[in-house]
Amino acid sequence: MSVRIFRWRAIGPLLVFLGVGGVLWWLFADRIARRSAEKIGTAIVGAKVEIQSLHIDLANGDVTIGGLTVASPHEALKNLFQADELVADIDVLPLLEKKVVIDRLAANGLRFGTPRETDGRVPTDPSASVSGRVMNEARDWAQGFQVPALQLATGKIDVGTLDPRKLSAIPAAEALSARADSSRKVWQTGLDSLRLGPTVDSATATLARLKTARATDLGALNEARRAIDQLKQARNRVTTLDRSVTGGMTALRAGVAGLDSAKQRDYAFARGLLKLPTLDAPEIGLALFAPTAVSQFQRALYWTQLAKAHMPPGLQPRADVGPPRRRRSGSTVRFPREQALPGFLLRTAELSFLLDPTAAQPKKYAGRLTGLTSDPAVYGRPTLFEASAPAVTAGAMLDHVHATARDTAGATVQDVKLPPIQLPSLPMTLDPGRGTAQLGFALRGDTIRARWSIRSTHVQWARDSAAPRSTGADLLWRTLSGISDLQVDAGVTGTLSHPRLVVRSNLDEAIAARLRTMLGEEAAGAERRLRAEVDRQVDPAIAPVRARVTTLQTDITKRLADQRARLDQAQKDLEARLRELTRIRVP
Amino acid sequence: MLTLVKLLQSLVKALHSEGTPGQLAAGLALGSILGLTPLVSLHNAVVFALIVMLNVSFAGALLGWAVFVPVGFLLDPFFDHIGHVLLLHTPALKPLWTTMYNMPVVPLTNFNNTVTLGSLVFSLVMFIPFFYLFRWAVARYRATIGERVRQSKWYRAVTASKLYNVYRLFKPE
Repeated sequence: MSVRIFRWRAIGPLLVFLGVGGVLWWLFADRIARRSAEKIGTAIVGAKVEIQSLHIDLANGDVTIGGLTVASPHEALKNLFQADELVADIDVLPLLEKKVVIDRLAANGLRFGTPRETDGRVPTDPSASVSGRVMNEARDWAQGFQVPALQLATGKIDVGTLDPRKLSAIPAAEALSARADSSRKVWQTGLDSLRLGPTVDSATATLARLKTARATDLGALNEARRAIDQLKQARNRVTTLDRSVTGGMTALRAGVAGLDSAKQRDYAFARGLLKLPTLDAPEIGLALFAPTAVSQFQRALYWTQLAKAHMPPGLQPRADVGPPRRRRSGSTVRFPREQALPGFLLRTAELSFLLDPTAAQPKKYAGRLTGLTSDPAVYGRPTLFEASAPAVTAGAMLDHVHATARDTAGATVQDVKLPPIQLPSLPMTLDPGRGTAQLGFALRGDTIRARWSIRSTHVQWARDSAAPRSTGADLLWRTLSGISDLQVDAGVTGTLSHPRLVVRSNLDEAIAARLRTMLGEEAAGAERRLRAEVDRQVDPAIAPVRARVTTLQTDITKRLADQRARLDQAQKDLEARLRELTRIRVP
Repeated sequence: MLTLVKLLQSLVKALHSEGTPGQLAAGLALGSILGLTPLVSLHNAVVFALIVMLNVSFAGALLGWAVFVPVGFLLDPFFDHIGHVLLLHTPALKPLWTTMYNMPVVPLTNFNNTVTLGSLVFSLVMFIPFFYLFRWAVARYRATIGERVRQSKWYRAVTASKLYNVYRLFKPE
């Protein structure tokens, strides 16, 4: 039996099947494309992308998107932008290569920073999504800045804990006390070894015998002379001991003076424990505006790094995470080739946008974007963006054509409502009102150079009613609330791994001067408290030692003087009697 | 449950159809490609067209698809590895992939996805072994317990359902 290879009668059902597929495509293509666009856009941006309507007209190569909303990946209830309508003129043939080439895109009614009712950020797995990884890297980069904190908003200075083990006066006092005891013992031994009692007693006895002796009693006279010599020798020993005591007492008194020096050092140490906030104006600028400035730089870095991730330089195969599906996503590898079409290319986009959309009469501007592509090396030209109007100048260039990516962006917007700034160290909010904002950002390889500044002449201040009241805060409030001009300049230079941040504002000097006044009083009070604490801990150790040295000095001096007086008196008596006996009497 | 019943129906009817063991095995082998690779791929449209157009067992193809879907899920890590090796770690193939990536239509097959390519290569490599294995198994079945099953009451109940009429449209001639 021969078996036929083809089942010709199945052609009919197969054609019906294809027909049904075609009808389904006709019915659901727009919906499928809309959902796919939302999914892909969300994955790329790292925040919700919502599309109200999408229509594909393959015959004319047109795609029309209505009501596009792209949420901000950085702010919960804010949109990055909204667009009323996007009309794309696409090349149909590249679609057969799974490549999207848009010759011209007209975007109308673009509005930036509009509010939204739900959180548009999407939780992303840094290991599974490019946007999540870049977001994490940008966040880590921003957190690497050391921003000083002002703690004077409530007029308090932090007083550190005084550890008695770290005070030098107490061990010095203990050492001096031991030395005083030792000296006392040594000097007592010296006094005992003088043996003045027998010498004086012997002299007294000699004197008694001499009173009854005659001038011819040579034995008594010689004995008296020996006694006088012994007294002189004893006096010499007393003098020697006196010198030793004087030297020792000098050392002890120096020790007492050293205790005073140690106490002064303890005062200095205790002052070091005062956590005094900085009074330098640049540091104050950092403390006040660094979080806001770093936030701006972080966003710029996020977008440039995201662009680099989706528009990498070079022609090497690139593996990205595959499409989400029930089966494992795997990796989708792109194989760009010179002189071929890029995977995605937007040749030209004409942008019509509104600035300050919440104003009564929002102003309409126009911009132009060219050469946005997923394969810059294939396209061979950088992506350019420009928008200019009397009050707006904006431009950007993403040059990923060569191995080292060069991204630059700059924008100046004048007379626009600037967002309020919560000053992190002060219990007040600054509302710059309408003013000028400027951002410049350049990233070449790993080298960053960025600048952010705002200018306003209609600053309004709002005090945080929930913050605790204090004299310092009141003084600061009175100082700042009188300032109506604002000039803030922030800059980042260096490499991404070692960036250097500088922030300056016209408020810095005013705040610094006020802080100096406030700190002068507060710091003096804190220092007084710390000195009292040092005194409380050190004085109980010093005072007894000081008294002991004084007592020792008084005691030993008196005892030496007494001994010397006894010797002197005995010698004087003996010499007087001896002179009396040896006087030649003339009859 | 209904799906299981239909699968059982397909299995029973396929095994006892007028088709040769070779036709049934070819259907099973083609169905295995559908099951092992991600379904929504352009190459599966080609495979489906072959199943419909070629004189193979349609029920066998459905059965092969149903059986190999879970196998595909289980082997996805292996497919991913194969795809990685072929796409990224075989320099000799890079010109081929680059050419294919920049050709019309071919990129629509998602060949540049590691799981898709790995599973497709695996299923194509296994197609011939599967074909011979299934042909041998069907022949053995029919020679041993096939006739007894055909005489059983539940076989008659299964073949009497309305679905059988649809099936007959695609039964091997």
